[in-house]
Amino acid sequence: MSRSTASASAVCALLCLAAHPSVAHHSFAAEFDANKPITLHGTITKLEWINPHSWLHVNVKNDDGTTTEWMIEGATPNTLLRRGFTRDTVKTGTEITIVGYQAKSGAHRANGRDLILADGSRLFMGSAGTGSPDDPKGAPAEPAEPAEQ
Amino acid sequence: MSTRTLALTMMMAATAGLGSPVALAQIKAAAAAEKPSFKVPRTSWGDPDLQGVWDYRTITPLERRPEMGDRELYTDDEVAQLEGRAAKRLDEAPDTTVQTNLVHADYLTDPGRHVDESRRTSLIVDPKNGHMPPLTRDAQQRQDKATAARAANGAAPGGGRVDSYLDRPLYERCITRGFPAAIMPTLYNNNIRISQAPGSVAIVHEMIHETRVVPLDGSAFSGVRSYMGESRGHWEGDTLVVQTRNFNGRAGFRGAGVNLTMVERYTKVSPDRIDFRLTFEDDTQWTQPWTIAYFMRPAEGELYEYACHEGNYGLRNILQEARDAEAAAAAVKH
Repeated sequence: MSRSTASASAVCALLCLAAHPSVAHHSFAAEFDANKPITLHGTITKLEWINPHSWLHVNVKNDDGTTTEWMIEGATPNTLLRRGFTRDTVKTGTEITIVGYQAKSGAHRANGRDLILADGSRLFMGSAGTGSPDDPKGAPAEPAEPAEQ
Repeated sequence: MSTRTLALTMMMAATAGLGSPVALAQIKAAAAAEKPSFKVPRTSWGDPDLQGVWDYRTITPLERRPEMGDRELYTDDEVAQLEGRAAKRLDEAPDTTVQTNLVHADYLTDPGRHVDESRRTSLIVDPKNGHMPPLTRDAQQRQDKATAARAANGAAPGGGRVDSYLDRPLYERCITRGFPAAIMPTLYNNNIRISQAPGSVAIVHEMIHETRVVPLDGSAFSGVRSYMGESRGHWEGDTLVVQTRNFNGRAGFRGAGVNLTMVERYTKVSPDRIDFRLTFEDDTQWTQPWTIAYFMRPAEGELYEYACHEGNYGLRNILQEARDAEAAAAAVKH
């Protein structure tokens, strides 16, 4: 399938920044282009469960029928483990939609800001509970499907 | 005083007004109703036992937000609102139509979902206004100069120079988070492990997986400088007091570094809470010392390894992006 340009809308500087107690591990601006929002649909071919960020490899079918492998930066494995996910939660062949921002150079690399499964649930977002020690609902019984930060 | 009594006291103080005799009587009654004061367990060699993996996630900000004015404590409604918002960020799908410079959506981070149990409106407890004290005149000048230099270099926001990996921040390079940054609540890895042996304590920080070994033997500081500084500790009653200095200044905090002295205080106030306090002292940086405080609670599970170097593709990608941009600019010129 295709890669489409998501509609860029208002910058929510204050709102978004206020939500965060700190900056991320590395500079977003040095690697990704905030003016290149993308939405990718594809199937997972590999998960690299590594620090400081996990990486998803996703085969994305282009409009001309060819396939491109994209590398998507995900969350840190420590965070994911605490949310109840492991490297085994993600299966090769799982269909996924990635909403994020492309590398500045135009390389087939992007951050995975939001990772959405075919049923609409979020990769790494537990539906029955977050897995957090603070969550009375406890760990998700069947993690939807997994991935990173 | 136990954590519960403390919380109750603060809640009552916030709602009833501390000066009222009725409120004071209520507080005393609540304290008296509390079970006998907590006795800190001991190690086999007799030291207070603080060992374990401790979680210090909190959504309480370092500095009091302007809208809180002079108010030291959150009300019930504010706690509910802040925690509700935090839960929403972690548990609900983000609005993907909103542009942001975030690498990941909030649900892929782990900053916690609770305000500190003290209900204080800032981690900073001293000065009382919940803000870092003003910089000294020299420090202010240094900061202004550094800001001007960055602007003159044309550094992109969050970017800085990218000529070499040496230009990049130590944290981005997975070398160190530095101290005290390693123990300030952040987006993830908000855990430490405390291990004790006769005469020393080891504190392992999950972020970047750094360990500080703290001698308790009364030995003098050696003067050797490092990213995490040099620590010495002692007991004041049941409180572990750790003094850290001799930073090399390359992983400083808000401009402070080589002249910084940090004092940590760990006090177990119940089986599952440590009252943690951290004082910043540097009279070449701030006009007075300042202190933050929060409660640590037992982490669920182990401290995880954070082998940051093993897959730090981000650093390589950042350098590659800069080289690609240069090549593209050169191609346009020719």
